[in-house]
Amino acid sequence: MQHDPVVMPDEAHLHPDWMDGDHLIAALERNARDHPREVAMRERDHGIWHEVTWADYLTRVLELAAGLEGAGVGPGEVVLVMGDNRPQLYFAMLAAICLRAIPSPAYPDAPSSEILGQMQREGIRAAIVEDQEQVDKLMGLRDDHSDLALIAYDDPRGLGGMEDRGVVALRDLAAQGRERLANEPNLRRDLKERANVHDIAVLLHSSGTTGAPKGIPLKHGHVLAAVRNASAAGYFVQGEAHMAYLPMAWVGDFIFSIAAAVELRFVVHVPERQETAQHDLREIAPTLYFASPRAWSAMLTRIQVGIAETSGLKRALYEHFMPFAIDLERRRLEGRKPGIAARLWRGVGNALIYAPLRDQLGLRRVKRPYTAGEAIGEDVFLFFRALGLNLRQFYGQTENCALAVAQKPEDISLTSVGRPFPGVEVKIDDNGEILLKGDNNFDGYFQNAEATAETFRDGWLLTGDAGRWDDDGQLMVLGRVSEMVETARGDRFIPTYIENRLKFSPHIRDACVIGAGRDFLSAIVNIDFAAVGQWAQENGVAYASYADLSQAQPVVDLIRDEIEAVNADLPEGPRLHRFVNLHKEFDPDDGEVTRTRKLRRGVIDKNYAPIIAAIYDGRDSVDFEATITYETGQQGTMTRTLSIVTLEAGKERG
Amino acid sequence: MFYRLSGVYHTRYQAARALWPIAADRWQVILLLALALAAPLFLSPLYLGSYLLPWMIWSAAALSLTLLMGLAGQLHFGFAAVMAIGAYSAIHMTRAGLPFELALLGGGVSAALIGTAFGFAALRVKGLYLVMATLAMQYLVDWVIINVPAISGGAQATLRTPAVSFFGLPIAGLEARYYLALGWAVLLTVFFLNVRRTSFGRALIAIRDKDFAAAVIGVDPFRYKLLAFLTASFMGGVTGALLAFCYYRAVTPEQFSFNVSIQLVAMVLVGGLGTAIGSFLGAGFVLLLPIVLTNLVAALGSAGILDVSQNLMAHLPLIIYGAMIIGFLLFEPLGLAKIYDNIRKYFLVWPFRHSRS
Repeated sequence: MQHDPVVMPDEAHLHPDWMDGDHLIAALERNARDHPREVAMRERDHGIWHEVTWADYLTRVLELAAGLEGAGVGPGEVVLVMGDNRPQLYFAMLAAICLRAIPSPAYPDAPSSEILGQMQREGIRAAIVEDQEQVDKLMGLRDDHSDLALIAYDDPRGLGGMEDRGVVALRDLAAQGRERLANEPNLRRDLKERANVHDIAVLLHSSGTTGAPKGIPLKHGHVLAAVRNASAAGYFVQGEAHMAYLPMAWVGDFIFSIAAAVELRFVVHVPERQETAQHDLREIAPTLYFASPRAWSAMLTRIQVGIAETSGLKRALYEHFMPFAIDLERRRLEGRKPGIAARLWRGVGNALIYAPLRDQLGLRRVKRPYTAGEAIGEDVFLFFRALGLNLRQFYGQTENCALAVAQKPEDISLTSVGRPFPGVEVKIDDNGEILLKGDNNFDGYFQNAEATAETFRDGWLLTGDAGRWDDDGQLMVLGRVSEMVETARGDRFIPTYIENRLKFSPHIRDACVIGAGRDFLSAIVNIDFAAVGQWAQENGVAYASYADLSQAQPVVDLIRDEIEAVNADLPEGPRLHRFVNLHKEFDPDDGEVTRTRKLRRGVIDKNYAPIIAAIYDGRDSVDFEATITYETGQQGTMTRTLSIVTLEAGKERG
Repeated sequence: MFYRLSGVYHTRYQAARALWPIAADRWQVILLLALALAAPLFLSPLYLGSYLLPWMIWSAAALSLTLLMGLAGQLHFGFAAVMAIGAYSAIHMTRAGLPFELALLGGGVSAALIGTAFGFAALRVKGLYLVMATLAMQYLVDWVIINVPAISGGAQATLRTPAVSFFGLPIAGLEARYYLALGWAVLLTVFFLNVRRTSFGRALIAIRDKDFAAAVIGVDPFRYKLLAFLTASFMGGVTGALLAFCYYRAVTPEQFSFNVSIQLVAMVLVGGLGTAIGSFLGAGFVLLLPIVLTNLVAALGSAGILDVSQNLMAHLPLIIYGAMIIGFLLFEPLGLAKIYDNIRKYFLVWPFRHSRS
């Protein structure tokens, strides 16, 4: 494989304060030199954990680097990396980095067309993949992308005899590299010194929900700055036990499993398979744990299901101690210190419930549990904090190595994401958009000057997120700026932000906030049939159907109280004034929500125009002719009387 | 509740097969061992000598028998005879001037040889017929001991054990005898727990489950059945010798009568076949419970709470004892060890639901 001369522009002038020798390979070498026998990585294979020390780690990376160079990978070459978390793939990424090549990880479950697009845009000629599945996928794409000359794989199962087609095992590459290292005495040192702080360490990608994904190159300097900022804030500490189970193509995995792992000497644990990650997590009991809000929520559900089927005594204990702890945690977040009796009782609960539950989840040793990516439900957040886990949120995008703002252990608030890391500047511009500055911000999209120009203004990175500072000086993230709308009175708000806060209530399944170009805000609410039905049973409210239940006066009052609570957290202007409980749930079959339950506001505005008109006319109820599409495709109509409720904020308006 | 299963991982398969991979189990074992070692400090000589000491020796006997009955599935209703052979052999050897350590081994070896000779029956018969064969052994051995004066010292004779020392430590005082018994019980426990993890133990289990199926997969029933008899009889023989030297300090044929064999079988069954903890629990149950019940009934009687005739008073403990054996086996046919296992599992998955399987 021949390759073009180095295409990497010299961008050293952008960061005059970065030191040339300060890069990931240097950090790896430092670990291998100072702590050669310490464990750097553990991989579970057939039930036991195989250990790799820092000395092995460096050797494996250098062998692969020599092998890859022999196979034609050179500086500036973009190398596709695809597969589940595997030590070999981490080694290979660092090997590419050694050669000043650019690893470009892709999601292993991405459709072929996306992979093809990525390969064509980035001129990829070499790929490092996990197993036969990925090799097959790439072989199928060779017709459309014949440049792909080298495919190296980790797991040789089912892949014998394809060497003539440029498909080689990483193991063989490493063997060739070992031979080269043995024959060329200076190669080892040379490989260790090639990388530069201004080199691109990894090429990640935007999600591509609008148009083609954009390449986001992060340099050694960026990722190291991000890791050091986070470490300075006590966000990571040296020698964490970390579980590498999140997709390799996600920025967080590169930062946690490679950058922070190498810089701060983490022990990275690689699960046997994706499906066993939960079980393997429990074996390892890491000290640092990141999970998406959705994953935390799934964990909560697992606990609730487990408790629901357990025996009476244990359930009774759980049902006493869990609400007690949640209540205590809520007060603590409000700044009230628990008394000595409450603390003692919490200790009893810890022995009986909290500590066993933490152990069940494999989070017994977790000191730093984190979540990020989207807003976490208040009940989920409080639950895990009550369980004794110091769960915290952070905020960031791929563009700033995902580490920009985080909650500090001492001042957690339910509504904000915390304060900027040291070394990161945050400001909110006149449009309410969050702007960031710092060494962790990338220098521009990959070969896309236009998009780069759009995303920077006077050296500030435009996040596209709307935010504001709360009274305590912490950053609140409200949603995307592009989703921000204005009422007729000029109050700016983000419907999804308010909707999400409404949905945090267990009784509200869905909500649609209306108010763009109107006098005030209102909401169409879908009650959660299961939760409200349960509530109705417990409170003796009779009902026959969803529609019936949604209009029962006690239920309307229940939802009103929930919305009032949300209103209390919103600023004065964009508060909800009125709401209506809808007689049915938004249904993807009616086109009101997508299959992933994202609202389609246009359809909702159209379908429920009479209801919306009634809300803004000030009427107290509306008769609605509902068109129903049956599963057979037939249509029918039904008249429903829906009551419209005016909230406190609406009453004040007069 | 107090079990912590997270953070238990293995980097070698050997470690994954550890006896107690969970820390809480290790702590329990260490605690029990420490209590057993410190027992002379806080137990009165009465309790140490009449309760704990025999408990340890009978547990060792139950461990020997459970290897044969629980692991290898060979029923043995004459195990007291095996112990008798060990006891008489050892006592005669020490009288002949052999050091105690060697006499213990000799007792084990002679018990193993004679026990294995009867074990040949097991090669031909199974189940109830094997019970018959081992019963025959019990009676034969009893008869020989009683009727050969060279062994028993005469029909109604009692042979006193001579003063001996174990590796320089005189086995005279209560404490020395207790520690010797404890050491043997611990040694057998460790041996038993490890046998389960060896190919020998797995072969025995295969034979227990189906001997011809085991033969099909290459386990030689001839060899392993005899090995099972040999091992168990050796262990039983040494235990018998220790029973004589550490507890009775004399031997008479009645100490190893048929009743004793039945009691041993009861210990193994009530405790739970084929488990180490079951041997201790079973021995404790069979040995100590009658004493506890007698004391309890006597105390109730003298306090005037229990007003029954003297005759019934004597039999009441036995009635309750019998009812409790039936009750426990009805409640959990797999014995006390299974009850312990259920309790452990209950706390192991706390606060979630545990399954009883």
